[in-house]
Amino acid sequence: MNTAYINNNPYSFNAGESILAFVKRIEGNKIIPTLCDAPNLDPFGSCRVCSVEVALEKNGQTKTVASCHTPVTNGLYIYHNTEAIRQLRKNIIELVLTDHPLTCLTCEVNGNCELQEVAARVGITEVRYPEGANHLNRAKDLSHPYMRSELSKCINCYRCVRACDEVQGEMVLTMAGRGFDAHIAKSFNQSFFESDCVSCGACSQACPTSAISDVFQSKSIQATQKTRTVCTYCGVGCNLEVATVGGKIKSIQAPYDAEVNGGHTCLKGRYAFKFYDHPERLRTPLIKRNKKFEPATWEEAYDFIATQLTHIKNENGPDAIAGISSARTPNEENYLMQKFIRAVIGTNNIDCCARVCHSPTALGMQKTFGTGAATNSIEELEYTDCIFVIGANPSNAHPVTGAKLKQKLMKGITGIVVDPRKTDLAKYATYHLQLRPGTNVALLNMMLYYIISEGLEDKEFITSRCEGYEEMKAEILKLNINELEEITGVNKNLVREASIAYAKANAAMEFHGLGVTEHTQGTYTVQLIADLAMITGNIGKKGAGVNPLRGQNNVQGAADMGAQPHQGAGYLDVTNAEINHRYNQFYGAKVPSHIGYKIPEMFDAALNGKLKAMWIIGEDVVQTDPNTQKVMKALESLDLLVVSELFMTETAKLATIVLPASSFLEKEGTFTNGERRIQRVQKVVEPIEGTKPDGQIIVEIMRKMGYEQCDYTAENMLNEISQIVPFFAGVKWNELGKNGKQWPVLPNGTDTKMLHTKEFTRGKGKFFFYPFKESNEIKTYEKDYPYIITTNRELEHYNCGAMTRRTGNVEIVTEDVLLINPIDAQENKIKDGELVCVESPRGKVDIKAKITNEVKLGVLSSTFHFPEIMLNNITSNEHDSEAMCPEYKVVSCRIRKSKGKHLTH
Amino acid sequence: MAIFSYFYSENLSCMSKNLSELSGRKGLTNNLFEKMGDAAKETGTPSEERLNELSEEFLIGKASTYGTTTFYDFTKPENKNKKVYICNGSACVCAGTQQKVKETLLKQFTENEIGHMTCLGRCYENSAFHYQGKNFSGQDMLHFKKENLIQNNLLNYNIKATTPLLTIPYSGFENHYALLKKALNQTPDELLSEIKKSNLRGRGGAGFPMGFKWEACKNENNNTKFIICNADEGDPGAYSDRYLLEQRPHSVLFGMMVAGYITGAEWGVLYIRAEYPEAANIVQQAIDELKANNLLGKNINHSNFNFDFKIIKAQGAYICGEETALINSIEGQRPEVRTRPPFPTQMGLFNKPTVVNNVETLAAVYSIIKNGGADYAKLGTEKSKGTKLVCLDSFFNHPGIYEVEMGTPLSFVINELGGGFKIPVKAMQIGGPLGGIVPLEKINELSIDFESFAKQGFLLGHASVVCIPTDFPMMKYLEHLFEFAAYESCGKCFPCRLGTKRGHELTQKALNENYKIDRALFADLLNTLQQGSLCAHGGGIPLPVRNALHYFNKELKMYFN
Repeated sequence: MNTAYINNNPYSFNAGESILAFVKRIEGNKIIPTLCDAPNLDPFGSCRVCSVEVALEKNGQTKTVASCHTPVTNGLYIYHNTEAIRQLRKNIIELVLTDHPLTCLTCEVNGNCELQEVAARVGITEVRYPEGANHLNRAKDLSHPYMRSELSKCINCYRCVRACDEVQGEMVLTMAGRGFDAHIAKSFNQSFFESDCVSCGACSQACPTSAISDVFQSKSIQATQKTRTVCTYCGVGCNLEVATVGGKIKSIQAPYDAEVNGGHTCLKGRYAFKFYDHPERLRTPLIKRNKKFEPATWEEAYDFIATQLTHIKNENGPDAIAGISSARTPNEENYLMQKFIRAVIGTNNIDCCARVCHSPTALGMQKTFGTGAATNSIEELEYTDCIFVIGANPSNAHPVTGAKLKQKLMKGITGIVVDPRKTDLAKYATYHLQLRPGTNVALLNMMLYYIISEGLEDKEFITSRCEGYEEMKAEILKLNINELEEITGVNKNLVREASIAYAKANAAMEFHGLGVTEHTQGTYTVQLIADLAMITGNIGKKGAGVNPLRGQNNVQGAADMGAQPHQGAGYLDVTNAEINHRYNQFYGAKVPSHIGYKIPEMFDAALNGKLKAMWIIGEDVVQTDPNTQKVMKALESLDLLVVSELFMTETAKLATIVLPASSFLEKEGTFTNGERRIQRVQKVVEPIEGTKPDGQIIVEIMRKMGYEQCDYTAENMLNEISQIVPFFAGVKWNELGKNGKQWPVLPNGTDTKMLHTKEFTRGKGKFFFYPFKESNEIKTYEKDYPYIITTNRELEHYNCGAMTRRTGNVEIVTEDVLLINPIDAQENKIKDGELVCVESPRGKVDIKAKITNEVKLGVLSSTFHFPEIMLNNITSNEHDSEAMCPEYKVVSCRIRKSKGKHLTH
Repeated sequence: MAIFSYFYSENLSCMSKNLSELSGRKGLTNNLFEKMGDAAKETGTPSEERLNELSEEFLIGKASTYGTTTFYDFTKPENKNKKVYICNGSACVCAGTQQKVKETLLKQFTENEIGHMTCLGRCYENSAFHYQGKNFSGQDMLHFKKENLIQNNLLNYNIKATTPLLTIPYSGFENHYALLKKALNQTPDELLSEIKKSNLRGRGGAGFPMGFKWEACKNENNNTKFIICNADEGDPGAYSDRYLLEQRPHSVLFGMMVAGYITGAEWGVLYIRAEYPEAANIVQQAIDELKANNLLGKNINHSNFNFDFKIIKAQGAYICGEETALINSIEGQRPEVRTRPPFPTQMGLFNKPTVVNNVETLAAVYSIIKNGGADYAKLGTEKSKGTKLVCLDSFFNHPGIYEVEMGTPLSFVINELGGGFKIPVKAMQIGGPLGGIVPLEKINELSIDFESFAKQGFLLGHASVVCIPTDFPMMKYLEHLFEFAAYESCGKCFPCRLGTKRGHELTQKALNENYKIDRALFADLLNTLQQGSLCAHGGGIPLPVRNALHYFNKELKMYFN
């Protein structure tokens, strides 16, 4: 039925397929030349180079059409290489060359220029037009730390404009003027630096010439090798293609065939890699003697650590030692670290940064569903008709997912954003429920109330798949909705409308971030989110689910691998005797069966003298954990602090011994992204001289302390992990392919896109009810500290900034700033850009004010990317009641114009 | 000038779906494009502050507002502080009147304050210019004072009909809309059937059967649909739409309301050129009259039919006559041509099903509803039904608008109605700048209908006639055509953006320098434009050029080698 002919040969075509896609599929990618078509953009039809002739009968009367945007129809005869077509293509390219510099040999994309290639293919030998008007004198734009433009090389294909619109959704680029003088402009015809550019580089990658490029010349063919790996920044897990020249990294691009990011990534993934060979990289072990670091050999360092640890273990017992593994490092290294702590040291005192970000998610989802991981996959955004984002600002923190969400919201999909700040997504959403920080539980209870009182529950789903519903319902219906309205500060009718929209959607997809977890009621909030999904039947179907946006690139993996004190590798309960036996057998060592310290408990234990030694891998707890002064005191009171780091961070400065570790670009392993996708991290360059991968360091220490451990390779480790972590059973290094596999991976290698399809991991999904409880922080300090400061992230920086501050990103965002409402600013006589002293019961910091309507009256917001500010000097000791995740999001404070000890800087 | 769209029935996707949706959130009542136009009123181009406010209000990029406003003659920064605009349409150019206009205006304005507008629709008397929202032409210039504007006579041309349907005298509001009330008692299907029976084809130039278009839109399952009246009559030489808007506004509005009733659209948008300020005012008065008589709004005449009108004033870009560019324009996007499919009836304004019809097509609906489709179809030729307005320029003894039955011999129009030429003429460009150049010897072989023109290698288009006097060098005319085509190219597709410019340069060089155009190169250029262009702007310009090369080879060959 669906048959069309290419050069008179019949082939079947897919419904809606364009002629270009059809011919590409049958005859190969390069058969029809194009200039404006790009793999991740809609057909556009500007270059017309892809023109073909079509006829309704064999060798019949033809018409010329552009193949990229003309659909194939039944019985169509397509002739893509006739004399007329060859001539047309040649004529078009000849016209293009009348306004393009003929300086190929000195052009950075020589050899990888699509215009050059197409010109050669169509056989241009001369330009016959007399010299006419041209745009060859356009100045280069060198304003930006990354982005470059040289618009004299522009061919007006609009690929950059479309990438900025269709992929990133930023609309920084436009065509301006018209006709022959149409030209690319940025914002109000500004430079890249002055414009609203978010430096994602989508335009640079899309540009077929070097009209838009970047400082790394990522389209040049100079690179001798390209290695595919996975980004180390956030939990999206973008695939990166890293180009190297002579063992040095030249540039990074986003592969189009990556399922996660499809040719896109953000400025951190694409451009913020120059930290890797930064002069400040640690290049030798350092041992602190007389308060000064002295260089040491690896052997000395190992001896030092082994001796000290053995001594402390013998003197104070294994529970006097603790480890913090790193969610920035691969699964294999996390597995090894927890194994070292458990099997070699003999304690469950192992945790990772999940504690300070998504531990409530893991715990909450385990309690309700049975598995602490995203239920669905990002690609299912294609099937959703309602997006519910709570406590997350993915535009900054998970930019590629953020861009995908924004695309959907811009196109009018129902959007509900619950956030104290008017985030980018909130602007585009149908409903922005701008609640007071710390009142998530109250708000979610309101939503449950309205769904129940409106009779919008999915009764069939509740009855067949869940338990505990009636108990929860009874509690919810008792609530005083007006009181909750008062507490949250969100109009109840707006909440009602949003609740109805969520309940009535065919498939509603939830996303949340640290705005959910970093509260005293963090775990409860997660459980209520799960309630909402279950009550509306939004589990186990495409385009639905509960989908935490994991913060660090491998925070999912770190917990999966057992870097937490209550569960070992594979989330197995350490207190369970049968499991304990299994671990003992597997590790060939006695593993304790009592729960170890969580990170905040480690600090407390250090302060009260119970904890004597810590090994921290890749985590700057001084700068990023709350209540800096307390953390510092805790670390200072240890007998031994081992820190494995890339740089001399605030935490490393307090170490007894610092180990120079290799970055993700210098080693292999796997990262597990926020949708449970285990992807291959491949070594791009050799470790910077003097450094070692964490895996190798741990193995060597294990051996030093008498434990037999095989060599660190990803393959070896995965082989071991697959035998102990049930959902890794079928994971094999050589079978992960380009796009990885989503766990659980069955022994036969089959992976899983969606969880809980037929039943929940725990059997029935369990409903819980929790009443709202005001944080102690507010209850105790509200009167003297009337403002609430909530912490957030900037797009340009990552966490403590140790990496991003050592890249061009620091030229774009140079410091932490304080977001403050115009009225609050006025009342405190604070002008934009002035230093504000923010004081909490813990301490005070001076931060530059940025006056904005992004925050409501009484609410402030800032970041802790810069050690010069050290915002965590003011954050509190409050923690999630269940998972001990610190409450970074609600800090009582007061403000005044700074008297200015920092005024000069 | 909807000559467009005919040639390319292929195509896919639109400009920016995001911009369409975001602009659509505010829609017509709070319209982005209108606000951009308003923002430009004071100085001729919007301030950066204002553009910034608009991008924040509409959640779009600064670039999006900047990119759009740099496109139009009346919002672009280059035209800041222009005060008076001289017509440079083909008819005024051929008439040779505009140098004098400029000299006269220079007495009251500086050189920098004088800009251009392309065709003010005063082709019957020329000397046209625009000042402060008013058009002037003919003798106006002689007593023009910028402090004391005397409104000129809008009806300074002949109107005659051999078969009056469109030009039939207005019967008064009550009588006119009694027919609407009657129609609203019929079902949309019954009315559509009359339209289809009439075989009415689009008068913008493409000649697409209107019944099919309406039916396609009617069949789309969507709560929001739009009827757009394309009143961007940009073809130099054409002023028949202006006539209808100014003299028969209720015929146009009636047609749109019937279209809305049939297709299920609740909004009628009139996109009227900035060059026709009087037309916009008159149509607004007509809309107000409908409102005052409760014939707009919800549940009109208890029929459950809801309808309202919105006038959008264009800002000076010929390409907006192309229906997809027009849709982009209303959305506040750059008016670049969209690819098709999807067709506007599937995904048009704000990504909703949309009918775009020309003024004259919509005006024809009245007599179809009044007398029945079958009656209408009795007029005209086998494939071209009904009547057609023809515009004659000032080279005729009786310039004006003539309504004739389709199939009427061209010679009758020229000699009997137009009274022949005032001064010797060697050719006529019929159907706008993309229409054919018809030499005098072909007059007797042509009749006013789509097929006759197509068969002879010309184009009926909108049936405007611009004369090229005998002493006007044909090469100069070609240069004028290429200049116009290049100036008005949207710039989206390579062949048109580059080809029209190079065509202009070649003709200019040949005219002004000792330069001969290579025939093979010129043939390649024309082929590239015709086959390669995305829309009929670039695709259409080769037609008149080839006509000229064919019929005026003797005169032109000195410019080629």
